[in-house]
Amino acid sequence: MSNATEINNIKHLIEVRSISYNYENSYMGRALNAVSFFVNSGERVAILGHNGSGKSTLVKILGGLLENFDGECLINGINIKNIDFKILHSTIGLVFQDPENQIVAAVVEDDVAFSPENQGLPPDEIQSRVNNALEAVNISNKRNSSVSALSGGEKQRVAIAGALASHAKCLILDEPTAMLDPQGRLDVEKSLRKIHQNGTAIIQITHQIENFNDIDRIIVLSKGEIIWQGDNNNFWNVAENLGFDLPDAYKLKSFNAEVIAKNFKINNNNINIHEQNNFIEAKQQKNFTFEINNLSFKFDDNSSALNNISANIPEGQWLSIIGKTGSGKSTLIQHLNALYKIQAGKILFYNSELPQHGRDLINLRKNVGLVFQNPEDQLFSLNVFEELAFAPKNAGFNKIQLENSIEYALNSVGLDKKYLMRNPLALSGGERRLIAIASVLAVQPKCLILDEPLAGLDASYQKKILNLLSNLRDEGKTIITITHDLNTALKFSDRILILNNGNFINEGTPEEILFNLTQILSPETWPDVLKFSYEIHKLNNNFPLMYDYESLLKCISQI
Amino acid sequence: MYFSNINLGQYFPADSFIHRLDPRAKLFALIILISAVFSIKSSFILACWIFILIFIVHVSKIPFKTFIKSSKPILFIIILTFIFNFIPIIYGDSFLKALSNAVFTSTRLFILMMYALLLPLTTAPLELAAGIEALLKPLEKFGFPAGECAIMIGMALRFIPMLMHETDKIIKAQLSRGAKLDQGNLFKKLLSFIPVLIPLFIIIFRRADEIAIAMEARGYSGAKGRTKRKPLKWKLSDSAAIIFSVIPVLLLYLL
Repeated sequence: MSNATEINNIKHLIEVRSISYNYENSYMGRALNAVSFFVNSGERVAILGHNGSGKSTLVKILGGLLENFDGECLINGINIKNIDFKILHSTIGLVFQDPENQIVAAVVEDDVAFSPENQGLPPDEIQSRVNNALEAVNISNKRNSSVSALSGGEKQRVAIAGALASHAKCLILDEPTAMLDPQGRLDVEKSLRKIHQNGTAIIQITHQIENFNDIDRIIVLSKGEIIWQGDNNNFWNVAENLGFDLPDAYKLKSFNAEVIAKNFKINNNNINIHEQNNFIEAKQQKNFTFEINNLSFKFDDNSSALNNISANIPEGQWLSIIGKTGSGKSTLIQHLNALYKIQAGKILFYNSELPQHGRDLINLRKNVGLVFQNPEDQLFSLNVFEELAFAPKNAGFNKIQLENSIEYALNSVGLDKKYLMRNPLALSGGERRLIAIASVLAVQPKCLILDEPLAGLDASYQKKILNLLSNLRDEGKTIITITHDLNTALKFSDRILILNNGNFINEGTPEEILFNLTQILSPETWPDVLKFSYEIHKLNNNFPLMYDYESLLKCISQI
Repeated sequence: MYFSNINLGQYFPADSFIHRLDPRAKLFALIILISAVFSIKSSFILACWIFILIFIVHVSKIPFKTFIKSSKPILFIIILTFIFNFIPIIYGDSFLKALSNAVFTSTRLFILMMYALLLPLTTAPLELAAGIEALLKPLEKFGFPAGECAIMIGMALRFIPMLMHETDKIIKAQLSRGAKLDQGNLFKKLLSFIPVLIPLFIIIFRRADEIAIAMEARGYSGAKGRTKRKPLKWKLSDSAAIIFSVIPVLLLYLL
């Protein structure tokens, strides 16, 4: 027995030797090309890479789900191809991006039991593993809940518990937090930390590192090849050269809040920020796209979603709606193109009451485009042309109008005409997102509303969409977005509307609402710069709250 | 929601003698009770069975309001039965006779269905699936996949609410692109649902693919060799329940 453990200690838990993999009918080249690395037991490793870098292929190989690869993959020193499937799966647990697709039972406890049940364990052993796994991800209190009643973060933790219950020595997680809201990310991150401390090795695949404190080693994958691997500390010197933005938290490390608080005095800089606000206010006095008065809404089960919301949404500006999950954001935007009928209160669209049915409703939906979350899931046509023509045809455009509008939509999202004859299903996720947005833009709406437009996209497509929205705003369109991503909302939108539990909290420029944000969101989910400036603000009242790194530098440089 | 959540399984969680019974015992007892109610001929015996039903509901700790409310979906059938049994009046039956006959038959059917309702009300869907699996087990000798059936029922319970949610989202998205989903004749209506059905099928197939991979990664390779976290256990109380359900049958029909 002791001999066996010694041998295990010498060998790596996972060792990958020059693995290559080609997908059939792939025109993109090799998915993986001569990839080699190792992971020791108890280690926490991040594999970093953009979309299309081969990350997901690697996950499938390590999980024994793809077999016809070149090279060798050793688990505890044994070739993965020679390991019995059941033994492999009790060594390595996989967790995928979307927990919806891996939870198989309707009740939490039953799902966590799935893999020990597959292993044919006795009932007592199954129950104790389920208890331990639920404890590890801190969700024991929801053991009897129905899965469909859980939040995204809770679902992902159930999925992690499901993988832990097999007593895996290594968890491999493919973008486990990509689809979650800030609180959900935080909770999943906490669980992973605890699991790592309990001695389980973790390989986390991600396109951006947010929490870098707990990771031992980083492997950077690009176009199927490893372009860098090494210690966490060394990574940050080369990160920018490798194409990754440094997180604000890392840049803030060199500053000391107390020193800044002691030396900071009011100066011109603050006044400057103020003047800017006045300028923006002067600009927005013109026109309102929407005027919402005392809007209230209750669901069928009498639970209330919106309470007495009153707000004006100015024309030609970009407004972000911010609030925790369940704050009523989606319900509010679905009122704006009359998907929800008004129960109480009033909404004016360019000074006339929002139509609820008939001819006017069709007209309203032409003017107010709504792009749902993951809009690429709603594409249904055989080619991009048909997809873009759907909305204009419904709106009754004639042939010339139709062609113009399709050209306009395609131009706006920055795709060329070659795309028109391609099958939307054959495009990449990012391209499909662009096509889906274009299909709403095709009727040339005055106002475009988007629910989480950046969710699930990698950095390059996120930038494309942010550019697209800024351009549309500059054209004079009103842009309304819902987002969990506070950093992006604060940096890119002109105004912010905050909802909390269906109540209106405030609406204004990012500077104006910062204080409200600190009141409704838990501090752990604040942007890093806000956290830091709040810390200084507490010590010195004169120091303003801020959200972007450049403003912070400016303030500090004047000390 | 354009699709409101269909109440899948009307399970009413409570801690009662009935709830704790083995699902197999409940299935057996139900078969006995239903056949007994089905063969009722006199209104006195029907009244006795109504009394027993009320007693069982009381023991099961289900509030009477909830119990009566859960009968909503079957009321249509009851009314239909009433009308059909009333029809003989056309052929010259006296009004009173037709009426009493219709009332008796429809009440009997109503009581029969209320007995049947007790099962889903007091048994969690997965437990019920396990009970059905156990009863179908003998058929495995003839190649019937009883174990897979139970997993299928479980997964349906898990994914149907999610698919309803997806359908709702797609309908809304296409409506806001100006889709006219509820206009024209039947054929036009069907055609206008293509923008909803195609994305829905794509989502189902893609999810099915990923779920299959995830199940494989969690060590699933068919129902063979699987154990259960909560295996069914036949207790003394289960045998007692069967005996208790046989006693009134003997009393009411043999004496």
